[in-house]
Amino acid sequence: MAQEKSEFLKGTLDMLVLKVVALGPIHGYAISQRIQQISKEFFQVPQGSLYPALHRLEDRGWLSADWRESETGRDAKFYTLTRKGRKQLETELVYWERLSDAVALILRAAE
Amino acid sequence: MHWLRRLFRKEQSEKQLDAELRFHIERQIADNFAKGMAPEEARRRAQLDFGGLEPIKQEIRESRRGHLLEALFQDLRYASRLLRQNLGFTIAAAITLALGIGANTAIFSIVNAVILRPLPYKDSARMVSLSTHTAMYPTFSLGLSWIDFQQIRSQASSVEQSAAYYESEKTLTEKGAPAILSLANVSDGFFEELGASAQQGRLLTERDTRPGQSHVIVLSDPLWRTRFGRDPSVLGRSVILNKESYTIVGVASRGFDFPEKSEAWLPLSLSPADQQNHIFFMLQVLAKLRPGQKIKKLQTQLETIAQRTMKDVPELSAGYSFSAVPLLEDRVGDTRGAYFILLGAATLVLLISCANLASLLLARGSGRQREMALRAALGASRGRLLRQGLVESCLLALIGGGLGVFLAAEGVQLFRAIAPANTPRLHEISIDSSLLWFSLLTSVLAGILFGLVPARRAARMEPNDALKEGSGTNLGAARSTRQSRLGDALVTVEVALAFVLLVGSALMTLTVSHLLHQNPGFRTDHLLSFDLPQPPFDLSADLSAQAKKQSEQFKGIVDEIRLVPGVAAVTASDHGVLSGMTMMHGGLKVDGAITSKEDRHASARYVYPSYFQILGISLVRGREFTERDTGDAQAVVLVNEAMAREYWGTNDVLGKRISMSTDGKGKPVWNEVVGVVADAREIALRDAPSPVYFLSILQGGNGSVHLLVRTLTDPEALQATISRQIWSAYPDQPITHVTTMNGAISKSIGNERLRSILLVVFAGIGFALALVGLYGVISYSVARRVQEIGIRMALGASPPSVLVMVLRQGLLPVFLGIGLGALAAFSLGRVIASQLYGVEPSDPATFLGATGLVLLVACIACCIPARRAMRVDPMVALRYE
Repeated sequence: MAQEKSEFLKGTLDMLVLKVVALGPIHGYAISQRIQQISKEFFQVPQGSLYPALHRLEDRGWLSADWRESETGRDAKFYTLTRKGRKQLETELVYWERLSDAVALILRAAE
Repeated sequence: MHWLRRLFRKEQSEKQLDAELRFHIERQIADNFAKGMAPEEARRRAQLDFGGLEPIKQEIRESRRGHLLEALFQDLRYASRLLRQNLGFTIAAAITLALGIGANTAIFSIVNAVILRPLPYKDSARMVSLSTHTAMYPTFSLGLSWIDFQQIRSQASSVEQSAAYYESEKTLTEKGAPAILSLANVSDGFFEELGASAQQGRLLTERDTRPGQSHVIVLSDPLWRTRFGRDPSVLGRSVILNKESYTIVGVASRGFDFPEKSEAWLPLSLSPADQQNHIFFMLQVLAKLRPGQKIKKLQTQLETIAQRTMKDVPELSAGYSFSAVPLLEDRVGDTRGAYFILLGAATLVLLISCANLASLLLARGSGRQREMALRAALGASRGRLLRQGLVESCLLALIGGGLGVFLAAEGVQLFRAIAPANTPRLHEISIDSSLLWFSLLTSVLAGILFGLVPARRAARMEPNDALKEGSGTNLGAARSTRQSRLGDALVTVEVALAFVLLVGSALMTLTVSHLLHQNPGFRTDHLLSFDLPQPPFDLSADLSAQAKKQSEQFKGIVDEIRLVPGVAAVTASDHGVLSGMTMMHGGLKVDGAITSKEDRHASARYVYPSYFQILGISLVRGREFTERDTGDAQAVVLVNEAMAREYWGTNDVLGKRISMSTDGKGKPVWNEVVGVVADAREIALRDAPSPVYFLSILQGGNGSVHLLVRTLTDPEALQATISRQIWSAYPDQPITHVTTMNGAISKSIGNERLRSILLVVFAGIGFALALVGLYGVISYSVARRVQEIGIRMALGASPPSVLVMVLRQGLLPVFLGIGLGALAAFSLGRVIASQLYGVEPSDPATFLGATGLVLLVACIACCIPARRAMRVDPMVALRYE
């Protein structure tokens, strides 16, 4: 089952990360926890993908980052959604909705 | 710009990355702990979940923009550190490459300027030069007649523009010493077709060519600068050319020089008779094809025009045709082949230096096996190691290329200084940016070429084996064999290439030496020659009066020269000796000839009395010309033995008759043979003796006079004295081309000499590099086999047998190389055959000599490491491990 849990559709990780960051400034560990919680433990984000993704999104200017004090009192790198990132998230959401509608249609028709 | 900033704040960004990832792990540990795991277990699980820290970091680094550049910087830093560490190796490698790249770049810039770069005229790529061919002079390209020019202008639809011109010389007598100007008489449309413009005044127009217009002249920029001191007020002034006055109407723009070396331009105006004359083959025609038209199309059209002309004009025999040659080809001519041979030789040098470097890098690479293996074990990918190797070799090549550019620049300068003055487009050869680009490109290519194999080898390494090898005994034996086989192959290639270079340069040197020592058939010492250009006859005035006056002045000059102390005798001919120029006469009528061949032609020379005696050409039969063989006496002729044998089959031909022209009514004018002279190579050293007949300059001549003075003392010292003596009596007599005969001989083979010098230099460099390569490979393999040799000697092998072993190993690739090189040189022989003289391209002595030389020097290169091997102390060798 662990295998099944960690599989991600290509490109969806970026969208999930953007969505989670959209709720407010957040650091990497919290992002992985949040995704795991919200998906009811269905998605387990491998760190080997999460951090490269975060840096990639930052590199593209969709996320900005700064160091601030975390809830435990230690400094952590917090990511914030930029305006560009918000736009990107919107396009991705629209695209995702159309995609999932389409998939659902096919699945229903095939029944 | 984010990533660029990061490039420079790398340390900080690395620290932050580390802190971010650690924060994650520590939070995970804390959470695990909170879930009730034992501290140790909490840490273990967290780290297990997270996976390797380094690979994640690496992935993040590589995903960043600018990462490639950053990695390249890293590779470069690393490579330059390595190169600095092995300074000796770096210097040797850079010099090796500098020689190869420098030689190539220099020759390329010359080839580029002469052959590849378009001529500096508007749309020069579309320009063709036209000529006429007739059955009477089958081997000659003649100019066009005015009628044909007009036909082509109006009928050849593939021609956009065309212009005619002919070159001439006239004497400028105004201010200072008289000078001969190279002139071009040009038709309308000439300057327009070439896209020329005037920097002062105007160029020539159609109006100027109409009959009855006043004489006008356009100066070239160099003439205006040297003779007229860039004076802008020259416009409207007149100059005296051949005692006629011409008004200067303009100065052509700087750099315009068509036809090559012309100093001024006159309008082309022909008399109505010349315009109608079908055999007035005087005009050079320059045609420009319409855009997109092929030269083939023009040739078809020219053929149609020639066919029609032949039908209209029965005197023009069958075989009358026109040909069109691209202007560049026409200009560069047969020097093309010579340049490509040089470019080929330079490429061989470069290939040798690449092979050399590849073997050096291989040898060094095996010393670095453990380093590479360690890097591979620490996670460097193969691609990364390969790139690292290539970056290193390219950096090395660029250093070499940088040095090479300097060498090339010097080389090009040197070439310009020593190249014979008649080299086409010599003044267009320059050091420009193309040289830089070419050497950059060559360097990178060379870097990849010689770096690829060693780099692949290093990258392919199994870290496990390599790391073990260092501590083990002979685990890498299989690889070592493979390595030495590769080294041997490189030596084979180097030797083969060097062999080809050696043979080529030896053949060229033999050619020059044959030409130099070619017995010209006359005495060349104490002989001075110079030209006394005479103004051409004015065809509209009384010709015989002019001829008489000219021959009187000429006699007067000869008398003046005889007054100079140290002068033994004076004679003359119409063409310079060894100038390569001669008048070819076709359609000879020969009395009692044994051949009935229709097409009879021979070279003709007008000579002055005592010509043969003074040159030292022996008289076989009869007499030579005397002062009495003038226009009033019986027309006489002398022939050389080649001519006597060809036409009559015997030297006994006194009293036979030859006719080379007809009088006004079509009746042949007969000249009686009064003497036979020995064959001599007075026209060109390269040409085997061919039929030549001689006429008395006192019975005709064509206005052109080349004086020959036999001296008692050093001819060079007399040059100035003689000129002064002539000017004291005839102040407006131009004197040109003053040279000693031995000087003329070395000048006549100037091109061959230059080529052979360059080839010898290339061969020397290539040979030396190949030997260094051989030495390197042998001494490396001996060093690697020290232990083995020690064991052999400990087991009783004698030093001589070790020597034989090393020699055999070293010489095997050399033999292979010689074999391959001989094959290559043999098959390349055809290419250079046309450049050789007096030696076959497959000359056995040359091949044997090259083989001997290579073997001898290869033995020496092997012996030094072999001696070292013989002296190996078994104990030391065994302890070596």
